Amino acid sequence: MSDWITITIDGKEVKAKQGELLTEAAARAGIHIPVFCSHPKLDPLGACRMCLVETEGRRGKMLVTACTTPVNDGAVFYYDSPRAKDARAGTMELILANHPLDCPICDKGGECDLQDQAMEHGTGHSHYWEEKRHKEKNYPLSDLIMLDQERCVTCWRCIRYLEQWEDKPQLGLFNRGSATVIDKFPDAELDAYTSGSIVDICPVGALTNRLSRFRYRPWRLEHTDSICTHCGMGCNLRIDTRDFRVRRNVARTNMAVNDEWICDKGRFANGFAFSEQRLIQPLARIDGELQPVSWSEALDRVVAGLKDVVARHGAASVGGIGSAKLSNEANYLLGKFMRGLVGTNNVDFREGSALKAERRGIPSLKAAREADLIVLMGVDPSEEMPVLANFLKRAVKRGGAPVIIVHSRRIELTKYDGVFFNPAPGEESPLFDALTKASLQARNEASPDWLAEVEVDEETRKAAALLAKAEKPFIIYGTDYAWGYGSASIVQALTNWIVAAGHGDRLGFLHSQANAVGAADMGLMPDLLPGQRPLTDAAARAQLEALWQTELSAQAGLGYSGMIASALGRIKALYIMGADPVGEKPGYQKELSSLDFLVVQDLFLTETAKLADVVLPAASYVESAGTFTSTERRVQKAPQAAKAVGDSLPDWTILMHIARRYAPEKADAWRTPSVEAIFAEITQAAPQYAGFTWENLGDSGRQWAWDALPAPREIVAYQASEPAPIDKTFNMRLVTGSLLWDDGNVFAATERMASLGRKGVWLHPADAEALGVFEGDAIAVRSREASLELPLYISPRIRPGTVFVPFSLKDAPVGELFDEYGPRTTVAVYRA
Amino acid sequence: MSGLKELVQGAEFIAKSMGVTLKTLVTEAPNTVQYPEEPVAMYPRFRGLHELRRYEDGMERCIGCSLCEAACPTGAIYVLAAENDPSNPVSPGERHAEVYEVNLMRCIFCGDCMRACPTEAIVLGHNFELAQYDRVDLILDKEALLNPPTPNVIIRPDA
Ligand code: SF4
Ligand code: SF4
Ligand code: SF4
Ligand code: SF4
Ligand code: FES
Repeated sequence: MSDWITITIDGKEVKAKQGELLTEAAARAGIHIPVFCSHPKLDPLGACRMCLVETEGRRGKMLVTACTTPVNDGAVFYYDSPRAKDARAGTMELILANHPLDCPICDKGGECDLQDQAMEHGTGHSHYWEEKRHKEKNYPLSDLIMLDQERCVTCWRCIRYLEQWEDKPQLGLFNRGSATVIDKFPDAELDAYTSGSIVDICPVGALTNRLSRFRYRPWRLEHTDSICTHCGMGCNLRIDTRDFRVRRNVARTNMAVNDEWICDKGRFANGFAFSEQRLIQPLARIDGELQPVSWSEALDRVVAGLKDVVARHGAASVGGIGSAKLSNEANYLLGKFMRGLVGTNNVDFREGSALKAERRGIPSLKAAREADLIVLMGVDPSEEMPVLANFLKRAVKRGGAPVIIVHSRRIELTKYDGVFFNPAPGEESPLFDALTKASLQARNEASPDWLAEVEVDEETRKAAALLAKAEKPFIIYGTDYAWGYGSASIVQALTNWIVAAGHGDRLGFLHSQANAVGAADMGLMPDLLPGQRPLTDAAARAQLEALWQTELSAQAGLGYSGMIASALGRIKALYIMGADPVGEKPGYQKELSSLDFLVVQDLFLTETAKLADVVLPAASYVESAGTFTSTERRVQKAPQAAKAVGDSLPDWTILMHIARRYAPEKADAWRTPSVEAIFAEITQAAPQYAGFTWENLGDSGRQWAWDALPAPREIVAYQASEPAPIDKTFNMRLVTGSLLWDDGNVFAATERMASLGRKGVWLHPADAEALGVFEGDAIAVRSREASLELPLYISPRIRPGTVFVPFSLKDAPVGELFDEYGPRTTVAVYRA
Repeated sequence: MSGLKELVQGAEFIAKSMGVTLKTLVTEAPNTVQYPEEPVAMYPRFRGLHELRRYEDGMERCIGCSLCEAACPTGAIYVLAAENDPSNPVSPGERHAEVYEVNLMRCIFCGDCMRACPTEAIVLGHNFELAQYDRVDLILDKEALLNPPTPNVIIRPDA
């Protein structure tokens, strides 16, 4: 390469890249210059003076900070010279002058840069004998992070992280000299969703994890490289355990996925792995009550129950519901069992056939970071995928990408330049039609006749112009537009727009569940076989019949809500793994209690499990091994990190045992003894996974190709759904969506995070005023179906005329409100 | 005749040595310790059973720092620290040991734990009566360590 230059460090010639920082060049040569403030992911600052070295300057030798000094050809540096060493020792002495040195009670002790560098670069004695300065020692910055101001070395890393990655300045330095302290800005909360990253990058023990406070010593931890399964991003993290129990999660670097960051859910919400609420033994309904039974009895009951229903009502009366939160292996085996042994195609998961989503997810997370334009439709990355949101903010702030947002709420990213459309529920497809027309016009293409009446205005034209100009736009839509009543027409309309703009092959869907792509890959949808091959594909069926040594029916099965609704009719038995329909919509209790036989396999005794005939305790992903396929189709390993709670077993083990008892004569096809072996079978069943092995997934996973499945190419005329009627009583439109801090089953198990977030109904200030209600008031939201009561939050981010009720709130399941217009229904809002 | 001479000589030696015995029998007190009826005095630096010390006000000295655990060459110590409940602290400051165990089946009584402790909480006392009927009883928990059967704690200048 032409830009290699030569510099001299301590008389040794070293190759370096023109303009790189001396710290980087030296590190390549094996010289590790000590640093505190410098961090590879933050802009250089030169605040701590730990990295002093000597250089030949115009007026002879002088001291410079290596972390801010770019190297030029022929430059000469002295790292090991007496003066440089003396300067660093002096810096160290000054840093330690007021440092409390309370290592024995400091959670950083053992992995602390100050400890290590004091040993290496300090002198071991101090000229100061005065009393040290005292500051706040255990100062909670938030529910998650503890600050010890005495330990802070004022390196600014935390401040810079929040500014440069979160674009949320929330911390600052106050006072001067040795009285300087880190603190929150007045009136600011430290509530950035990736705030925990500052715990990872703080070089000392000034910022520590409050939830795992004092619960580990770094040198006694076992490390398991794993991933996060709270959302579809698939962030890489490391699970640190001792005694086979989870002590903390820290971020793990994967440049293709999460860089070196994880969000606070991934870092702190690991309580499910050791919650007191976990199921620790199988339960069976005996004399009307759920009672503990042995595994063997529970399994026999499941097999007998299912066989009985099949014998009386046929295989089509049985259904299996899996979960996008569970591993590929678990979902694959459930599908294989249902289709192959029971003989039914009634298989699905909540985000399965009901979601009108691009099943390939998004092209790649890398594409998000390199985007020159960002288009977000019905998706709020800040709440659904905080690390991705940070990447997008960087693309805006550093890459100059404008943002086009179509959303029913004024989401955080609308603060950036671009175009924001705020259609009310029901107004989306006309808006996308206008955008389609504008984009066709922008590219001088003719519009189809059915768009003739559509009007194009200033804003749509501006958005179309931005999209026409963009070379590598990142275009995604999300669950808000792809789920429930009317979603088919919205998704068709937005697809038309992106196709019209010539970017059809870039249109992605942001799957918010950890394994939503994987569950579809595993064929856990009524009309999809493993490999996302249609059930109607005879060749695919034949291949699977050979692999599974069985016969497969081609008759389409029922989906998630179809199965539950039919529980009052032709469905007689359900096997529900990792899903909680009743928790989501208590009304489902009626359907599920009328089943002849219900099996629930879960971590907790969920509302659904309370209705079951047999409850099987499953081990969480931390306690069992498996693979997950993220929203960018990256297949990643999550090896076992901790010991399973109680008698719980991995999902795949349970299914394996049930299958072998269900059909002993076919036990041969169910002889896969390990997760690795199941994964090997998956790579045969799903063509996209061919060539993958448990080993070659490695540390950073492997992606299956974006173009393995076709992208939309045509503009298609469609029938727009009628919006829900507005009348005098039901005069507000309901808006739902996910917030990071909700009360979902898995998240809620980390009880110390329960108070986070603002959980309630949200109204625009104008609507609140019209109703005469104030922040904090108890508010009733009533639909034609049911009514909920929640505290009120008032925010200009809410669209006037709409009321926002987030998903997964404790004791207030928004699903209860849904009528035939589903999440896009109309409601009455009043003071409760 | 040498036989007779030897006999006389032998008797002379025996009488001499028995003389010492008889003399000591009446002039000196017995040195035998009637263990276990009587206690055995140990040398000050003898390292016996562990004890966890308290401050005078009853607070535990141990702060759960796990440095003893880190120093132990045999992995005999297990510490799990926790936050003090500010309204009911068990040790001064924020941190205490929620679990503290010494496994006497592993311990070699080297005293490294005592040397590592920043608060002089863990010390090896003089108790050497370690025998137990049950292996499990060879694992001392915090309760046992804080309430040794015969508190006999000394702080060693050399430790
Ligand atoms: S709290 Fe930590 S990261 Fe922040 S300035 Fe102080 S030492 Fe640096
Ligand atoms: S962004 Fe998603 S995958 Fe990443 S840490 Fe957060 S919840 Fe986990
Ligand atoms: S005396 Fe030695 S072997 Fe015994 S617990 Fe202490 S450090 Fe470990
Ligand atoms: S006994 Fe001493 S060294 Fe061991 S954990 Fe307690 S304070 Fe730390
Ligand atoms: S690391 Fe260079 S000044 Fe801080």
